[in-house]
Amino acid sequence: MGLKHRGILRIAYVRLGLNDNRLTRSLNFYRDRFGMLESLRDTQRAYLRCWHETFQYNLVLEQTAENHLIETGFQVRDEEDLDHFTQKIEAAGVEVEQSAAGEPLSGMGRSIAFAIPGGQRLRLFADMVQSGYVTGFESPDWVTPRKLRGTAAPMFLNHVGITSANPAATVDFLTGVLGFVVSEKIIGDDGQLLSALVFRMRRDVGGQEIAIFPGEDNHLHHIAFSKEDPNDILVIGQYLREDGINIDTFGPTKQSYGNTFSIHFFDDFGIRLELCCGGRLTTVHPETEPVVWTESDLSKALSYYDEDVNPGFLDHSL
Amino acid sequence: MAISQFSYANVRVMDLQKAITHYTDTVGLRLVESDDQRAYFQADEGQDHHCVITTLSDRAGIDHVGFKVNDPSDLVEAAEAAAAHGLAVRDVPAGEIAGQGAGVMITLPSEHQMLLFYHADKIGYANGMHNPTPGTSKNKIGAKVTHLDHTLLSCENAQPTVDFLTQVFDFNLTEKVVDPGGNIIAAFMSCTNTMHDLALGPGPNGTFHHMAFGMHSRGEVLEGADLLKEDHVPALEYGVSRHGIAGVTTIYFHDPSGNRNEFFNGAYQASGQPDLVAPIIWDVENFPRGAFYYESQVPEAFFAEVT
Repeated sequence: MGLKHRGILRIAYVRLGLNDNRLTRSLNFYRDRFGMLESLRDTQRAYLRCWHETFQYNLVLEQTAENHLIETGFQVRDEEDLDHFTQKIEAAGVEVEQSAAGEPLSGMGRSIAFAIPGGQRLRLFADMVQSGYVTGFESPDWVTPRKLRGTAAPMFLNHVGITSANPAATVDFLTGVLGFVVSEKIIGDDGQLLSALVFRMRRDVGGQEIAIFPGEDNHLHHIAFSKEDPNDILVIGQYLREDGINIDTFGPTKQSYGNTFSIHFFDDFGIRLELCCGGRLTTVHPETEPVVWTESDLSKALSYYDEDVNPGFLDHSL
Repeated sequence: MAISQFSYANVRVMDLQKAITHYTDTVGLRLVESDDQRAYFQADEGQDHHCVITTLSDRAGIDHVGFKVNDPSDLVEAAEAAAAHGLAVRDVPAGEIAGQGAGVMITLPSEHQMLLFYHADKIGYANGMHNPTPGTSKNKIGAKVTHLDHTLLSCENAQPTVDFLTQVFDFNLTEKVVDPGGNIIAAFMSCTNTMHDLALGPGPNGTFHHMAFGMHSRGEVLEGADLLKEDHVPALEYGVSRHGIAGVTTIYFHDPSGNRNEFFNGAYQASGQPDLVAPIIWDVENFPRGAFYYESQVPEAFFAEVT
């Protein structure tokens, strides 16, 4: 085996299908106003990345008939991991689609895709083209690039929130088959699991790469990106407001659940986005213990300052 | 499986009571337990038994660094691999260090002791594991550190230790400082997705440069700096600065025995595996900007003072 970090090592990208002719509206939002960098373009898709990333994309926008979440991509160590997961996922009774390098997305090696309980699709791959750091590799200035200042300029894709009619089944699959670890969870008054935050990365602004919320199967709740600290979030909130972007009712807020300081807002298609900082420095270890919330403390968990849960907050957004 | 966390630093101190006062009242750690030889501390958002041990000694410096593996069988494998690499290895039985299970102690080529272990007793987060109030309590004393993040150890030649940690222990080299001949002067390595868990810099073998505590905001780093001044803790002459390397807001200071500490805040995300992303390279000419971004100068004491 060797002392090797194996399995899922990184959340890589979210792939959205949008009814958007030539992707004009979505590029206007994500590239020009939100502040991601366009890496690549083809007839169907635009590939965007966060400025601190070296990999080619964190967000894929694809022209489709209906708006929907197509898939979320995660990187694994190597081909051996792909074979191992293929066996494990099939043994769990889930069909695995094998894709050759370059299919369906540009710049990606061989990959496997499958649906988790709840219907959302994940894709695992080992190789992705690197565009290189926008700052360069030689004595760089780790400073937000000048052309992105005044936008949200997200540093990294942080996590994806999804809804599931049976959160317990989704979380069991993510932990039992894919090796995710639970950092926090919410238990309903009836004792059933309502929600969980699961991770594979120990990092700043950590503790979750997937957030599972109760709701309809096969929907996206939100996409979250990392920032350095709450000051950034407050200042960027001003840019978003100035730009006429629809900010969630509660504005910047502390989310006790996940231990982040966050702002939620909506893109031009109504998709909920989040900028977050803080989080938990968690460890991929069998003995890691999760924070446990009870449904009666839901307002404290989700909206600490406002002590209220906007009923719309639990709705999926795509 | 793999090495999954930089868990703690065991530093030597000459006065245990003064160390306890420093690490609790100023740094803001929780005192977990102590006897007449050692004190164990944990930060507010660490759930294991300790992230710092101070051990009474006649000199300052680093006793050992502790890293957690995520499979018990990793300990056997690591011991065999280290021995095959020609490094000294010894078993550390459960109970020798409070709050954790058995481990293996490896002497790195840099002459630092690295303990690998699997199990840590749990004490939970400071605000509890059940419906926890976020932030810090109004009664909290000391700076608002959330966790122990990384350490920088000093040695004469970093290359053999970098080779061992990256090739055998699967650490990822994220950034490095090189001399005009391309030789490594400083190396930043991670066993997670953070920028560094263990860094190496120039100095006598087996010495300690600093350990760093993370915070949730730049504002808290500033508050921490005020607290250091109020407590008359010797801090680096630049006060609050930013590292060009990693791009984080930082201040350095010393514990009463002279061991260097750091408060910092920042976000950086590494790939989590070696050799996937080429390391950032800092040449000597640009290193001052990498160490202290605003000042772009390195005070002489910064590398001269190690413990």
